[in-house]
Amino acid sequence: MVNNQAGKILILSLHFLCVIFQTHAQRTTTVRPKAATVKISFINTVKGMPLVLDSMEYTNPFNEIYTVSRLKYYISNISLNNPQKHFAEAGSYHLIDAADSASLHFSFGAAANTYNSISFMVGVDSIKNVSGAQTGALDPSRGMFWTWNSGYIMFKLEGNSTASSIFNHKIEYHIGGFAGKDNVVQLITIPLSSPLKLDAGKSSEIIITADLDKIWHGTNELKIAETPVTMSPGILSKKIADNYNRMFSIKELK
Amino acid sequence: MKIKVIISLLLFVCTAFVFIAASQKDTDPFKPIYLKLEIPKGWPKPGKDIFANNPLTEQGFQLGKRLFYDGRLSKDGNFACASCHQQFAAFATYDHDFSHGFNNLFTLRNAPALFNLAWTPLLHWDGGSNHIEIQALAPLTAHNEMAENIDSVLIKLRKDTAYPKLFKAAFGSTLINSQRMLKALAQFTGSIVSSNSKYDKVQRGEASFTISEARGYELFKLKCAACHKEPLFTDNSFRNNGLEVNTYINDYGRMRITNDKNDSLKFKVPSLRNITVSFPYMHDGRYYTIGQAIDHYRTKIVTTQPTLDTLLKNRIAISNAEKNELIYFLFTLTDTTLIKNPRYAQH
Repeated sequence: MVNNQAGKILILSLHFLCVIFQTHAQRTTTVRPKAATVKISFINTVKGMPLVLDSMEYTNPFNEIYTVSRLKYYISNISLNNPQKHFAEAGSYHLIDAADSASLHFSFGAAANTYNSISFMVGVDSIKNVSGAQTGALDPSRGMFWTWNSGYIMFKLEGNSTASSIFNHKIEYHIGGFAGKDNVVQLITIPLSSPLKLDAGKSSEIIITADLDKIWHGTNELKIAETPVTMSPGILSKKIADNYNRMFSIKELK
Repeated sequence: MKIKVIISLLLFVCTAFVFIAASQKDTDPFKPIYLKLEIPKGWPKPGKDIFANNPLTEQGFQLGKRLFYDGRLSKDGNFACASCHQQFAAFATYDHDFSHGFNNLFTLRNAPALFNLAWTPLLHWDGGSNHIEIQALAPLTAHNEMAENIDSVLIKLRKDTAYPKLFKAAFGSTLINSQRMLKALAQFTGSIVSSNSKYDKVQRGEASFTISEARGYELFKLKCAACHKEPLFTDNSFRNNGLEVNTYINDYGRMRITNDKNDSLKFKVPSLRNITVSFPYMHDGRYYTIGQAIDHYRTKIVTTQPTLDTLLKNRIAISNAEKNELIYFLFTLTDTTLIKNPRYAQH
């Protein structure tokens, strides 16, 4: 039987602990004055429909049927721009993982202003590829790092297709390369459909759609039957990157 | 009654927790001993400071050393970094063309000796590793080497009784993550300097060459030093030295990294320091003696390979007498201070 006094002590002690943790949490959060909050959301789609991993069959422009088991890519160096100014997110490295819904949204504080475009890289800039061990989104344990030819895998798409001639009809596109002719990373700028006014202390959202269908024909034709796999920097990686670099568009501003 | 006891215990634990947290903060501040990488007299400054974003400390070095010698960094516990990088072999694998890894597998290249890495901009025979901090990920994850994955290693380290304290001493908190592990390893391997061979002592005026060594040195400067540049005995470039392609392995070297056919069959020029203990030689360890390696340059270079280094188009003319003198000189590059230094040895 629970003794009344003991119960009170328990509640008090828990309350005491809560207070300690709360004050600790408050201490570590820094509130920047005059900043607006901008939330960036990514929706992975195929031809307008939200991407469904594993179970949904898709058809590419060459009538090749495929499923997607894994889709991961880096979004980095985000900035919000207007003709006079641009605001760059600090430490801007995000790993989008279609299997992890929490990875599809993130927020940061931005200078209150009116912006009419957003820029970002799909992938990780060359500096972070040559600067040693990183952490957070860039932690090599996230499975997006090549050790034999050191550098980040910028974009990873895996799945299956009856058009693939390799074992288990796998398709596997691991795209990377950050230097010289093999550099797959480019800064993409997308105009916002209408100017986005960020007000201090208020929160806005930019929803970006990624249409995976573009990977097959964004710029270059990519047929699964011809090239079901790439796992190194080079010409094929570059061609595929040129495709997925075209797959982003603004869905909505809120 | 029982409940009362449990609650008072809970309270006690909570209070203890608060006190421990407070006391750690006040009485155990993060005070690492900072170290500086000594640049031997007369040596060039490293091209980039490998410790620029990884301040070298005694605690970081010691943690890195412990990790280097810890088999738990491998899948089955048998393959520490040190199992292929043995101090008595100048941190190469003694007497092995290829090293042994997980599940009775061989590596595909000869394990390079580890020293003077602070002066080595690109690591691996093909230069595929661009920073000392991330280099360790390659052997750690290779299926024929340590065959592990990062998360699994970190779980093992977190469970250990000693590591959390060592990470705290090195980095200020008990957090164990891949970045800290890799930075600590880099502090150890990047600190290994070989600069105390007889050759070095002669340069410093502390010793003198015998007549044969002196002749060998003159020959060396004439015939070898263009690639094996003093004082590091490598220019860190990638060159094709005309080895016949091993058709079992078909290793084309740097081309795999750069996708450039001009880099076909190019491998990093290795340092000749400590070569008496780091045999066998070449990227595939095909030559077991220094004599065989010299003979390669005298008579065996495949001169039809399009990417053959221009300095080797006519092979290298070395007489038998000169070969012996060269070998006498190369013996002076052995640094017993390195291979016996307890600072680099397992605890």
